[in-house]
Amino acid sequence: MIEVMELSKRFRKILAVDGISFHVAKGEIVGLVGENGAGKTTTLRMLATMLKPSSGTAAVNGYDIVQQPGQVRGEIGILFGGEVGLYDRLTGRENIGYFAELNGMTKAETSASINELVKLLDMQEYIDRRVGKFSRGMKQKVAIARSIVHNPSVMLFDEPTAGLDVSAARIVQDFILHCKQENKAIIFSSHSMSEVEKLCDRIVMIHKGKIVEQGTVAELKGKYRNDNLEDVFVQLVGDNNGN
Amino acid sequence: MGINVIKLVFLKELKDIFRDKKTIFMSLVIPLTIFPLLFLVLGGSMDKSMKQVEENLTVAIVDSGNSSLSQFLHNQETIKLVESTDVEADIKSGKILVALEIPANFDEDIIAEKPADLALLYDNSSQSSQMAFSAVSSMVDAYSKVVIEERLLARDIRGDLLTPVVIDARTTEKEEEGFGKFMLSLMLPLMLVIFSITGPMGVAVDLGAGEKERGTLEPLLTTQAGRLSLLWGKFFAITVMGLLSTMASLLGLLFSMRQEGGLFQGSAVSIEPITLVLIGLVTLLLTMFFGALELSISIYARSFKEAQTYISPLTMISFIPTYATYMLDAKNIETYYFHIPLANISCILKEFLAGIYNFTHIGITFAWIIIYIIAAVLFARYMFSKEEVIFRT
Repeated sequence: MIEVMELSKRFRKILAVDGISFHVAKGEIVGLVGENGAGKTTTLRMLATMLKPSSGTAAVNGYDIVQQPGQVRGEIGILFGGEVGLYDRLTGRENIGYFAELNGMTKAETSASINELVKLLDMQEYIDRRVGKFSRGMKQKVAIARSIVHNPSVMLFDEPTAGLDVSAARIVQDFILHCKQENKAIIFSSHSMSEVEKLCDRIVMIHKGKIVEQGTVAELKGKYRNDNLEDVFVQLVGDNNGN
Repeated sequence: MGINVIKLVFLKELKDIFRDKKTIFMSLVIPLTIFPLLFLVLGGSMDKSMKQVEENLTVAIVDSGNSSLSQFLHNQETIKLVESTDVEADIKSGKILVALEIPANFDEDIIAEKPADLALLYDNSSQSSQMAFSAVSSMVDAYSKVVIEERLLARDIRGDLLTPVVIDARTTEKEEEGFGKFMLSLMLPLMLVIFSITGPMGVAVDLGAGEKERGTLEPLLTTQAGRLSLLWGKFFAITVMGLLSTMASLLGLLFSMRQEGGLFQGSAVSIEPITLVLIGLVTLLLTMFFGALELSISIYARSFKEAQTYISPLTMISFIPTYATYMLDAKNIETYYFHIPLANISCILKEFLAGIYNFTHIGITFAWIIIYIIAAVLFARYMFSKEEVIFRT
């Protein structure tokens, strides 16, 4: 589970994330929704300990992101949108294996975990070929396998379907639901309201680094008496911009 | 954990590099073949122009009287006499290489035992003309000797009276090695410094900026591996590749020196094993310094292209101190040179090649190299820990 406490991040003069707090339980998918530059990626990077918070902190499965960054990284898996970020000259198996071993897994553990993932994601045909010539969908599967190979308890998805076609996006969405079944705590950032509505149990809306609203889809629709989440978001963000 | 991760990163990077044909070609194949090829072509063209002069020594003689000198030259087999109405223009156009102008009273002066004037025209901007000039000059010298002998004979004096001392020149280096050693002491320090910069360059760019550009850096940073372990693994991989590249260049250089028909005409230079070890050590350390420095710059850059733009000036900058010591004689290099960055490397290499092992100089230079490496590694560490650098996209 994830507990975010008054987390802030300042880049020189810009306050990218401004004192946000929320929590994610096991087996729960929380959608992090906001415009470009709202602070979604910065928040996820802090949770992944790539960036140090300026103030506040968060706990990932009880480990503090400031005090115990190494243990935190062992608990999380992260999947980015856009570039999949694989080594073209390594095979699919080598790509996944490299990250497994960097996460402290033994060769035997790595091998067992990869074999399982190859079956799950149906990659038998090409897993031992070099990644360079893979199609986008094949690469996406390798990247997915890499993010979960060390069996993390927390998954972070940063706009994972950005730039994907329908079938590739479906692979990612199915994977997110699979993670939920495995009782992982999941944060999913997106600016596609329909995707968020489809996948998420709860939604955290952020704007200019601050949380403007959070709750389940039903709660938000009820509170703002609007069946369209996008309208709710635009209304909230618009109010905020007006001030 | 740390050591394992370093090893893991190191081995992965080497595997990745060795699968890249482009990098292998650029950092191993080209350095290995460039010198043998270069010197073969250079030696070949020098040979060719020398042969050309030897076989085709075109000379014009403008003789106002039918002098004994011009008859002497007529009898020389190597000379090819050419008629010319405008010697200056013909030399410039290359039709003739050298022209002699013998005044009308030349023979009179010789007989009267007065100094006789002779004009030798040549093109001092042409190598062939210069070679022809020295060939003709020595023929004129030979003629002068004949005249002197005749004069001494007429006075009943022995010819060797004018050569009171006979020099027997003996060299400390084996005669056939001297030239090679001299060339090596000029070129090797310069080459080694340049190789130490260019050797690790391609790989450093790939392992820093390349990782950013491919989008692999962020996933890498989310693993349990510490940033410093990643840095060390990459640093060692770069060092190994830089060293392999430098060794390939050296091998190429040594091979080209043994090449028949090359610039060195196969003048094999024997270098003592201890010298080789010391030169290797200096090169290794210098490669580590530049490897760390290039990795720091590379991780700061946003892309391959940017990294290359930032790193290439290193070569130009390092030319200055290295060239400044280019012509220094290994036997008397003053100590202050050993405090100047890179100049000290170039000087210590010169000394090693000359077989000089000055412990003060060695101590100062190695102390400085260690300081350079520590500074460069600390800088790389600083760059790897800076959020603004890592996420500079």
